[in-house]
Amino acid sequence: MKRILLALFAAVTLTGCDSAASNQPSFTLAWSEYPSWSVFGVADQKKLIDGAKGKLGPIEEKWQVDIVLRQADYDPCLSMFASNVIDAVCMTNMDALNPALGRRSVAILPTSTSVGADACVTVGIDSVAQLRGTPVYGLEKSVSEYCFVRNLELLGEKESDHKFTNMDPAAAATALQTNSAETKAIVVWNPFVMQTLKAKKDAKVLFDSSTIPEEIIDMVVIGRDALDKPGGDRFAHAVIDAFYQLNAMMAAPATGDDTLKAIGAKFSDLSLEEMREVVKQTRFYSTPDAAIRLFEGDKLKETMTNVVAFCVDHGIVDKAPTIDYGMGKSDLTFSGEYIRAVQAKQ
Amino acid sequence: MIRSPIRYRTRVILGVVGVLVVALAYTWLSYRQHQINPTDQTIPTWQQLAAGVGKVLEVDEFSGDRWLVTDVKATFYRLFVGMASGVFLSVVLGLLMGCYSAMEALFHPTLSFLAKIPPTAMMAVFFVLVGINFEMYVCMIAFGVMPSLAQTVYLSARNDVPDELIHKSYTLGASQAEVIWNVIYKQTLPKVLDAARLQMGPAMVFLIAAEWMVGAEGFGYRIKIQQRLLDMRVVYVYLIVLGGAGFLLDTALIRLRRRLCPWYAE
Repeated sequence: MKRILLALFAAVTLTGCDSAASNQPSFTLAWSEYPSWSVFGVADQKKLIDGAKGKLGPIEEKWQVDIVLRQADYDPCLSMFASNVIDAVCMTNMDALNPALGRRSVAILPTSTSVGADACVTVGIDSVAQLRGTPVYGLEKSVSEYCFVRNLELLGEKESDHKFTNMDPAAAATALQTNSAETKAIVVWNPFVMQTLKAKKDAKVLFDSSTIPEEIIDMVVIGRDALDKPGGDRFAHAVIDAFYQLNAMMAAPATGDDTLKAIGAKFSDLSLEEMREVVKQTRFYSTPDAAIRLFEGDKLKETMTNVVAFCVDHGIVDKAPTIDYGMGKSDLTFSGEYIRAVQAKQ
Repeated sequence: MIRSPIRYRTRVILGVVGVLVVALAYTWLSYRQHQINPTDQTIPTWQQLAAGVGKVLEVDEFSGDRWLVTDVKATFYRLFVGMASGVFLSVVLGLLMGCYSAMEALFHPTLSFLAKIPPTAMMAVFFVLVGINFEMYVCMIAFGVMPSLAQTVYLSARNDVPDELIHKSYTLGASQAEVIWNVIYKQTLPKVLDAARLQMGPAMVFLIAAEWMVGAEGFGYRIKIQQRLLDMRVVYVYLIVLGGAGFLLDTALIRLRRRLCPWYAE
């Protein structure tokens, strides 16, 4: 007993010492497996940042802040963010609305946009007219349904003629591959789109998100409360800096393939060639200029108005959160300020 | 003292105290979370939970149905048919195995093997065999509970029925079928009911997991979607309903066993 207590005591003191090793304020960023978010995991692998608590990589040294990385599934990431357990999270513009109603949030960095990464894949259905009345399986109240409804709109179809039916994307992809007699159409995202096309030769893409570029946006969001803490803005800067440094590694011929491989390693079993296709469909905002153009442009305002209307119409949010573009005091703010600050310090 | 009985009134009071402690702990948790963030949605206050109750009971403007009604119907119908098929299959298999060594040799290794495989992990097999609709949930529950239930029946058929009883029945002129039905089956019934009651938990886990993945209605579906949308008011109301339903089912099955097998000593 005594020995156990001693060991416990030693463990407690040691962990205590460990976090005291860096006196910098620490903030947690949660990310899930997705090409433009795995960037943070790879930045940790490549020692640009150190995702462990109390340890600083070069970027963290530069900004005098400790980034703690936490990898989890997408849905738990959203819950953790909403319950104030973590400071920042990787999520899409559409999924940012609900958390913002409970915790005021600031989008500081767009990481990528879906240009074909969300798709309606069918077997034996060649036109959207044929799709009428056929159940289309995909995750309800998510970007999949958004992509589906927006494409119907663009094709002049009535939403009420179509049956979007809930199914988890991984299960939907499996169902189409194994039992296409019952499951003829699915809306899923990558890697499921590419995997399904690869595994089932008679499957084809009926339509995809390439018709609505810059409407489904993957991004990093920080709680306003975390930003207001001492060092909060430095945390935002460091995260942005890490993202662009890794993008530079991807663009450089010497390190490009290696970095892309690392990003794709846990994403799926796709080859390097196929990963090149994936990052075309998940188009990265690989430079500060591209990101600022999006966050400060007029198209985003129009997009978000549509997205909010969609979410209210489909019972995704109870009420519309207020949104602004700049340093306002709304529920959700899109701010290019932090990207500019990083750009200025280069 | 160990195992000394307590009065009925004390038992009821202690039960209520247990519930109150849980409710108090939740109140404290929710209070603390709202101190950190006044607009928190993740640990709803009692008021927010009341709003959640309203939301699951009101007519939904998109589907025109009441969520709780739709989901209770879907989930409990699946659970009932799934459990009924599972119990039926297990009783048949278990009795066969308990009565005939050849059957035991044939099924026992396979059942022990299957008993350790969660049916939710081989969803693709069910997709191919029975599709993606109602039958899939039923099969998932039935095949999920069958291995361990069948083994319970088998052990009970072999061990709980004394040889003398079987010989006596033969002496009195019973046929093999009559011995199985009137003697062995009757003796194993209380064990079957108890085992079925205990398998209700795993059955619910399999069903919720399946609805989580492929459902378009039901408890698993609603909890998953609402959790994703951070509407924890609805999620917790559903969890409370689940707990309550489990409690009722448990009590009902114990009553049923007492009614059917009054001779069985607990």
